[in-house]
Amino acid sequence: MKRFLSSMIDGRGFDIGLVSLPLAFLLTLSGLPLLYNIVMSFQEVDMFSLGSFWRPFVGLKNYRDLFAQPETWPILANTATFVIASIAGQFLVGFGLALFFWTNFPGASWLRGLFLVSWVMPGLVVGAIWNWILSGDFGVLNFILRETGLIGGNIFWRSDPDFSLWAVIIANIWLGTSFNMILLSVGLSAIPRDLYEASELDGANVWQRFWTITLPMMRASIGAIIALGLIFTLQQFDLFAAITSGGPNNASNVTQYWAWDLSFRQYDFAKGATISVIMIVFVMIASVVYVRSTRHEVRG
Amino acid sequence: MSNVTRDRLLFAAAIILAGIYLFPLYWMYITTIKSGSEMFATPPTFWPTDPQWQIFGNVWQGRNMGRYIWNSLVIACGAVSVIAVLGVGCAYVLARYRNIWVDIGLFLILMLQVLPASLMVTPIFVGFSQVGLLNYPRLAVILAIAAKSMPFFVVLVRATFMSVPQELEEAALVDGNSRVGAFFNIVLPLARNGILVSVILIFMQAFGEFVYSKSMIQAVELQPASVGLNSFMGPNTNEWNNIMAYAAIYVTPILAIFVLLQRRIVSGLTSGALK
Repeated sequence: MKRFLSSMIDGRGFDIGLVSLPLAFLLTLSGLPLLYNIVMSFQEVDMFSLGSFWRPFVGLKNYRDLFAQPETWPILANTATFVIASIAGQFLVGFGLALFFWTNFPGASWLRGLFLVSWVMPGLVVGAIWNWILSGDFGVLNFILRETGLIGGNIFWRSDPDFSLWAVIIANIWLGTSFNMILLSVGLSAIPRDLYEASELDGANVWQRFWTITLPMMRASIGAIIALGLIFTLQQFDLFAAITSGGPNNASNVTQYWAWDLSFRQYDFAKGATISVIMIVFVMIASVVYVRSTRHEVRG
Repeated sequence: MSNVTRDRLLFAAAIILAGIYLFPLYWMYITTIKSGSEMFATPPTFWPTDPQWQIFGNVWQGRNMGRYIWNSLVIACGAVSVIAVLGVGCAYVLARYRNIWVDIGLFLILMLQVLPASLMVTPIFVGFSQVGLLNYPRLAVILAIAAKSMPFFVVLVRATFMSVPQELEEAALVDGNSRVGAFFNIVLPLARNGILVSVILIFMQAFGEFVYSKSMIQAVELQPASVGLNSFMGPNTNEWNNIMAYAAIYVTPILAIFVLLQRRIVSGLTSGALK
């Protein structure tokens, strides 16, 4: 006992104690639910069997049922559109802004930091603001688009099935651009300046310098940022809840919202768990890419 | 073109870009103080003609916002304390050693960091209801948020600990300090700023959390402000000035903290996410 105590205060035991408690906490509250999710996706779960662990196993029935539903494939396609368009928008706008602020004038870093307010705001608030901006008859975005002559009539962003997914995408691009920009700025500032001086002496113009120095030097950061963007986009839930609720008629529904909707609106917990399992596999793949691309950093 | 003019031009362009980017925020504040008819005017006014300042008090009273904000605070403070107490030690050990076990631990933590809350809420809800935790809904939400956000916190704080020179701790050990003593007297004070920034970031996240609270807290008296905002926004609402007032009251403290501590928050964030 005494040896144990002194090890806790002064030796290996101190480290093990510090690490094992949080790890145990995380495994109980994240690891166990993860496994439980997989178990539930093979079970029949309804309101009556919700309270017991021993529910009838149904094998792959939930998965078969899920893919037999007519809305499954459109929702998966929506998810792909949402993810690709959001990441592309966030990354391109973010990269453009990062390059602009990289020119390093007085006040640049302060102003650049200010952009990040979009990222620290609660998602529900961002959703509420965009819901109002995008509203059909009185929305300010429609007004601006009309005045500049880009559209003839009002677009009913939230209720038109052709546009409702894009309404959420616009909001999500706005939300994520600043985060992309900040991380890209960090990557840009790590490029040694003398590379540019040397290429300038060799007569390379701005365009050539961008393609032969900036992009290749940024490859690792870009990989990490896109993987991170994928992870964040697949986590995006609040904007759907605040802007379209997946409607109209699933036109803007994506898997991460659908999984919640099935569990907590339709009380079909088994289906909710099934979709969660499928999507978590995707997220895991993205995170492996992310971990690999930041590996040299992780290992120090 | 001299350098000064160039700098001024670039600064002006940056202000314009920031103005465009932050327009949604401006629109929130400006809609708040518009009257009901001005809000729906075509063309919309970009500067209110008749500001309605009493709307903040009305919404605060009418929507019972004090209670909502209080619940948000309780949940955020609870989650942040659990995360800070457990996470700091974990980050310290993961920063101090470099071996295969640390790598495995880091990998596990990074993997747990990416699980989307809306996908994890189903098993957490069912599991919590089975062990009876849903009878204490705010505690249930605190635990769920803590599990969700702790990995991010550990990654951020670990970066801070990495920048504390290990020689200082070793010197304290040579001087006869115990490991516990060295940790609390030397390492922790040196890492204080980084920990504080990470705590603030986690607090802001927890303060705006929605999925867990929406799913697990049924009683209106216990719901946080994010859920309150969601139920305020019905499908065919037209009280946009009131909703924007709600949003403004909810978000302004967060924005104020962020603008005040901007430089530190941004550098803390970037050192953790990638460098």
